[in-house]
Amino acid sequence: MYKILSKADLPRLIEKWMEQATVYAPVRQGDFTKFEPLNDPAQADLYYAANTRYPPKALFLPQSEVMFRAKNGELESTEDEVSSRVILGIHSCDTRALQLLDGVFLTGDYQDPYWAKKREQTTLVVLGCADPCETCFCTSVGSGPFDKRGADVMLIDVGDEYVADVRNKKGQALFDPLPDASQEQVDTSRRVQAAAAAKMKKPFESEGIKDKLYSLFDSDFWPKVQQSCLGCGVCTYLCPTCHCFDIVDEAQRSERVRNWDTCMFRIYSQEASGHNPRPTNTERVRQRIMHKYAYFVELYDEIGCTGCGRCVRYCPVDLDIRQIIRSAQAWEES
Amino acid sequence: MNDTWTPRIVVFQCQYSLYCEADQMWMDTQLPPHIKLIQVPCTGRISPLFVLNAVQGGADGVLISGCQPEKCHFKEGNLGARRQLDEFRRFLAYLGMEEERMRFAWIDLSERGRIQQELADLEETIRAIGPNKRLVTRAITIGEQP
Amino acid sequence: MSQLTLAIRQEAARILEENIVDVVIGFEAGTLPLKAQPAFITQKEEAENLVHNGFCQNNLASYLTRRPKEERIGIICRGCESRAVRALVLEYQHDRDKLYLIGIPCTGIIDWRKIEREVGENALQAVEEGDEVIVTTRDGEHRFQRADVLHDSCQRCLHPNPVGADIVLGDPLPKGDPERAWVPVLEFETLPPEERYAYFVQETERCIRCYACREACPMCYCTECFVDYTTPRWAESMITPSGTQAWHIIRAFHQTGRCVSCGACERACPMDIKMTYLVDKLNYDMAQQYGFEVGASDEAQPPFAAFTLDDKNRFVR
Repeated sequence: MYKILSKADLPRLIEKWMEQATVYAPVRQGDFTKFEPLNDPAQADLYYAANTRYPPKALFLPQSEVMFRAKNGELESTEDEVSSRVILGIHSCDTRALQLLDGVFLTGDYQDPYWAKKREQTTLVVLGCADPCETCFCTSVGSGPFDKRGADVMLIDVGDEYVADVRNKKGQALFDPLPDASQEQVDTSRRVQAAAAAKMKKPFESEGIKDKLYSLFDSDFWPKVQQSCLGCGVCTYLCPTCHCFDIVDEAQRSERVRNWDTCMFRIYSQEASGHNPRPTNTERVRQRIMHKYAYFVELYDEIGCTGCGRCVRYCPVDLDIRQIIRSAQAWEES
Repeated sequence: MNDTWTPRIVVFQCQYSLYCEADQMWMDTQLPPHIKLIQVPCTGRISPLFVLNAVQGGADGVLISGCQPEKCHFKEGNLGARRQLDEFRRFLAYLGMEEERMRFAWIDLSERGRIQQELADLEETIRAIGPNKRLVTRAITIGEQP
Repeated sequence: MSQLTLAIRQEAARILEENIVDVVIGFEAGTLPLKAQPAFITQKEEAENLVHNGFCQNNLASYLTRRPKEERIGIICRGCESRAVRALVLEYQHDRDKLYLIGIPCTGIIDWRKIEREVGENALQAVEEGDEVIVTTRDGEHRFQRADVLHDSCQRCLHPNPVGADIVLGDPLPKGDPERAWVPVLEFETLPPEERYAYFVQETERCIRCYACREACPMCYCTECFVDYTTPRWAESMITPSGTQAWHIIRAFHQTGRCVSCGACERACPMDIKMTYLVDKLNYDMAQQYGFEVGASDEAQPPFAAFTLDDKNRFVR
């Protein structure tokens, strides 16, 4: 179902949503934007930056999440401390990433209640990218700037208006009162989407990447590639699909907390005995790339990367995953 | 100024500080509840991390008490401490924590009653400048629990 | 291609060919127009990939402690990098005999953030031409004065010329102005204490504890960093004011007498956190109190590695 929303009417619509839910949108902070709960629709800045630096996965898997508190000898879980939310202005890459993470957190036998409840309570109003960035590569990993998977509503910018592709009941609850889009407007939106995808360059071919990476496991490729990697956590923390965490009991705060962890740190896999199955940067860099482009594919039949480009932009040493995959595909054992 | 407010003070005491026995006994048994005593083998053991941790945990003042130069049980530990802690005090002041909150006192065996005097003096100084409002970011673990 | 780049490539190729070193560390063209990538070349033919320009963001000395200890390393270093190498050698982290320093007087690193602030995130190409930087984006060409877009640390740089190099390529540059270098620290000190603390809180609030600052720093090489100690836990990994503030304060403090003011920490930070104002204060104090500057000599011990009976009793009672 397609609705039409003029950009001038968006603030009023947000206000309406705010009566029933907390609305999150990119808010300007210094030179970049971050998803924050809005006090005022005017705070939302959907276009200042192509995407936020800090990924919106933090709204579902917070960097530090209190799991339960100890109070008077009782344990109080925080899983129900979640209210109705709307996330406006999230892009397709990040939305698709949430869907991929559903595969991790909502497996048949065990559903992570913290993740599940937040996902249930949140409506995603996705803003597709009419003008993809130089560092975006979603089309190379099976996605695209207007990938609708996971979206409750997809907004397509057609100039002074958005054509809103309302995908399900959650989306309808937010967009029902709006007028339907005309056929002409829908056609325009289709042209915008096709043009955006066509503009994107394809830095690598992902066909067969899983098997190629497996074949390179013991090769000299990895010791070479890892040389410039500093082993910091920028790529993993900014990545919308990275999800590893460490659980800590903070005694002074009487809380059990789940914190993001990164496989790029030596201590990530350090065992109490002193043994470390990934003792050097080589093993760790290899693991990171293979987790996204081989192991994830093995487990879920999907590439575990959505091409958002944050790791490419913010890696302190310009270690570029696009270049790594392209080199891997081309690598010939000598 | 709230008269019922008592400054929280953390004392790092070198265990070989040559307090006379009476003074040491006082330190071990009669220290008021708002003063927390931490003994270290030598002031040279004191890392800026200790001081920062004390401040983050609510200390309004920090006193470091050690042996005088040339009287260090470990020969020169107290000299090593001097430079680092001097600079750390300056650094914390740069970040907004008043310099007067952190002190280093070298005490000799012959100086009876000196430690009580230092503590009283520090307390008076702290009372004049008020509770520490910078860097206190953890649950308070000194003195009466709030 | 400039004469300097040619000279660098020739020297790098020579020291590999003559088996003086096993590897040469430098920069090569990156995938992003405003950045270069660190390069590690082992064959003389690879020397033609080496570049030297204002887009080389990193302090290459941070790789010395990551290489095998027995490796003989050639390193192409600018002022701050060479001082960091000297500091590392002083701390016994590498054998000076196994290093070959190709020194380059440095005209500063271009801050990609300053450029993107003006022209947005989609630079397609960037070149330096004399005093200008020309950036091409989707909507055309933009020109900048190089001096305006240098990284803050480079604008204040006191030592553009390499120290202790085996060979220096390029012409020496005038030293920086100490008055200018210390301005931000001195100005910060004039602010009232509440404002200084508030600034510190405001900057550190954004920290995501990725430790890019630590990893980019040549002087942070501890195999076990204090943040990873568990007994006691000085800085919890949970994102809290206490953990994050402890991280920034102590990391800066651990650099006292060791930091070369290269600014690599700030450049690495993905959240644009300012942190050089912390280490610059410590460097200033070391210069004022002890007359000490990192990398000024081959032998002078950093102030915290030494002490004397005559140290001033500034605050001791």
